[in-house]
Amino acid sequence: MPSGGGGCLPPMDLMRSEEMQLLQVIIPTESAHLAVSNLGDLGLIQFKDLNADKSPFQRTFAAQIKRTGEMARKLRFFKDQMSKAGIQASPLQSTETPLDFDDMEIKLGELEAELIEVNANDEKLQRTYNELQEYNTVLQKAGEFFYSAQRSAAAQQTELGANQSGETSLESPLLEQDVLTDASKQVKLGSLSGLVPKEKAMAFERILFRATRGNILLRQESVDELVTDPQSGEKVSKNTFVVFYSGERAKAKILKICDAFRANRYPFPEDLSKQMHTIAEVSGKIKELKATIDMGVAHRNTILKSIASDFEHWNHVTKKEKSIYHTLNMLSVDVTKKCLVGEGWSPVFATSQVQDALQRATLESKSQVGSIFQVLNTKESPPTYFQTNKFTSAFQEIVDAYGVAKYQEANPGVFTVVTFPFLFAVMFGDWGHGICLLLATLYLIIREKKFASQKLGDIMEMMFGGRYIIMMMALFSIYTGFIYNEFFSVPFELFAKSAYACRDPSCGDATTEGLIKVRPTYPFGVDPVWHGSRSELPFLNSLKMKMSILLGVSQMNLGIMMSYFNAKFFRNNVNVWCQFVPQLLFLNSLFGYLSMLIIIKWCTGSKADLYHVMIYMFLSPTDDMGENELFPHQKYVQMLLLVIALVAVPWMLFPKPLFLKNEHEKRHQGHQYTPLEGADESVEAELGHHEESNHHEEFEFSEVFVHQLIHTIEFVLGAVSNTASYLRLWALSLAHSELSTVFYDKVLLLTLGYNNVIILAIGVVIFIFATVGVLLVMETLSAFLHALRLHWVEYQNKFYEGDGYKFAPFSFALISDEEE
Amino acid sequence: MGFLVTSGIFLLAGIIGCLFSLLCCNRGPSTNLYVLPPPAKSPSGSTIILCGMGWAIVYLAQMKPLINPILSGE
Repeated sequence: MPSGGGGCLPPMDLMRSEEMQLLQVIIPTESAHLAVSNLGDLGLIQFKDLNADKSPFQRTFAAQIKRTGEMARKLRFFKDQMSKAGIQASPLQSTETPLDFDDMEIKLGELEAELIEVNANDEKLQRTYNELQEYNTVLQKAGEFFYSAQRSAAAQQTELGANQSGETSLESPLLEQDVLTDASKQVKLGSLSGLVPKEKAMAFERILFRATRGNILLRQESVDELVTDPQSGEKVSKNTFVVFYSGERAKAKILKICDAFRANRYPFPEDLSKQMHTIAEVSGKIKELKATIDMGVAHRNTILKSIASDFEHWNHVTKKEKSIYHTLNMLSVDVTKKCLVGEGWSPVFATSQVQDALQRATLESKSQVGSIFQVLNTKESPPTYFQTNKFTSAFQEIVDAYGVAKYQEANPGVFTVVTFPFLFAVMFGDWGHGICLLLATLYLIIREKKFASQKLGDIMEMMFGGRYIIMMMALFSIYTGFIYNEFFSVPFELFAKSAYACRDPSCGDATTEGLIKVRPTYPFGVDPVWHGSRSELPFLNSLKMKMSILLGVSQMNLGIMMSYFNAKFFRNNVNVWCQFVPQLLFLNSLFGYLSMLIIIKWCTGSKADLYHVMIYMFLSPTDDMGENELFPHQKYVQMLLLVIALVAVPWMLFPKPLFLKNEHEKRHQGHQYTPLEGADESVEAELGHHEESNHHEEFEFSEVFVHQLIHTIEFVLGAVSNTASYLRLWALSLAHSELSTVFYDKVLLLTLGYNNVIILAIGVVIFIFATVGVLLVMETLSAFLHALRLHWVEYQNKFYEGDGYKFAPFSFALISDEEE
Repeated sequence: MGFLVTSGIFLLAGIIGCLFSLLCCNRGPSTNLYVLPPPAKSPSGSTIILCGMGWAIVYLAQMKPLINPILSGE
């Protein structure tokens, strides 16, 4: 650690990221797997990829990765089958016995083969079953055709006999005579029957008619219930058809057309006794098949259930193995091929744990050689690792969303935990709303365990992740609610009687002249008397505006103080004297002074115009203050402050680049001759290798100067604009209180005035919805976003670099969360 | 209750909060920080400072009012 304590701050766990070290471990091949597995359980080391130039196939453990990939595929297959059968995988038990990976692979292979076979059989049976079902329907329907045809023929016969002498009736067929006479030389008619999908039925009929030039008779009838198609296994509506034809050629054509239309054909015996026989046979077969299929399904379910009991365990093991091999692939193989060399970042506090893990691996694998563990020196910047708990992690996430802290940089997250909810509450001050928010988040916190284990929706997930932030926000908004004295916009005289009263007993001028202060100031928060009065807005606006400035200046000063801690920590005196001091002076000589004026004005009750004071401090500092003077010799103080502010700007700008240049030149002189001034850049480039390769940096004065110039301009302009930016605290808090007043007065009180229960009920419902929808959801969101901005921009730009990278350890605890 | 009395209460709350967090739930230095401010290393703390500040601002603003509440005539 560059400095013992961390500036003048006491050492704090969240203030600085964990101290990291680059480790080198040399592990004998035989214990490598176990060692990496142990390190994964520990989860405190981030391996560097030493084979980055190799493709995935060239790496040492490519074959093993392929194996684990194959197993993962099998497991996905099982999962798919299980979800189809509606079987849930039982949750992971911690007491599972460790499995041998090879045994598991064999077992998975066997199970997969068995399952595939069972599935294939099942499919075949199902198909036959569906075919038989179709056959059955055809038999029934076609039987009806034949039956009705026979009946009508018989009716015709009798009719014919009755009308022998009389004239032919209108309905009788025209060719009746011919048919009757030709009965002797009848051609043998063939028939085909089957099922055709309903949507194709019309086309089917037309094509048949055209192809045979009308020399067929087609009867169709739709089947009432849906039929399962044997080929696709889907349920479709179908028509039964019977085609009568004459001649072999017609038959061939019909067969082809049937195939084209995917019309399934089934033989239909014409003989009645045969029909009965077939029907009986088919229904018998159906019953038999049904039983077989049921048995098959039951068998399959038992297989799946046995898989389900172990599934999570297998899944976990597979993922673990896969990650182990991926990690092993990052290690480089020693030339002797007897050991693996790995490099990785690890927190310093974990040193003994890592060593212990390696030791255990050596013992357990009965390796003859132990692992070698050593710390490497490097100039590389280590990853940033904060040990957060479930409370602070959400706040750290807010900071990380802006940028991950540079290694060991002062962490804004430490103060964000308090300042963030506080600034939120300034914009959301209402203890009624605060309590609602608190109840909602307490629900999430109390049922934390339950929510953490189940999958939540996107928005719910976000709410759950930020539950502790919301809790803090709610607590602080209850507090500021008491300060603003608002409960759903209604004030209460909780702490004392209002300080104001009428001037005289008749109270005649209360609405014109106003009340006067008769008692000591209301002890806690805003005096309830202001609510609803005509001077409420002017009073609250002035109060909240000044409050925003005071809070803003304090927070910006805190930010500048953090930059001091950083400079101290990294032993950077240039930053202290050429950046921190002038910045502090500049901000406070202008806005610190303004804050002071505000407080003086409140304490003295002076009528001075602060805008006027501030503006004329710049425009004509030598003028007499007149009645705007708040304290004696104010003019001279202002002139002094103005001079300080003006001096601070070049102070920020020039010394640092010059100092750095000087420093650089001094360093060079110690080593060797500096290149002549004005020497060619190419010469310099050639000389570029003069220093150690890792310490070779060109010093470009102009670049450093421009950088400092930008920084200075940003700070000077930022001081003004950031202070103005804090006025959003006032604006949002005003919006919040006005909205809640409107909902209360114009909805609840208005409907109360009607003295009607129904209207009142409607009013209450509208009030609740408006409060929840607008105030509790939208206003929370907007206040949250504004608090976020104030932290990211106004606060963090004073000191936070945020260009680090996060510590991403190899840990089994993390892999189970992924991919889900 | 005057300004000083309530300020005293806040200070006391700071001390108690600090001791409480040190004795009962000492979870490392930065947890205590929410009660302990870094520069002073003394009782009262970011939370107490902020809450106290919020209260003090409002109190001070009402101490010598420039405008009086004028009731709306209804």
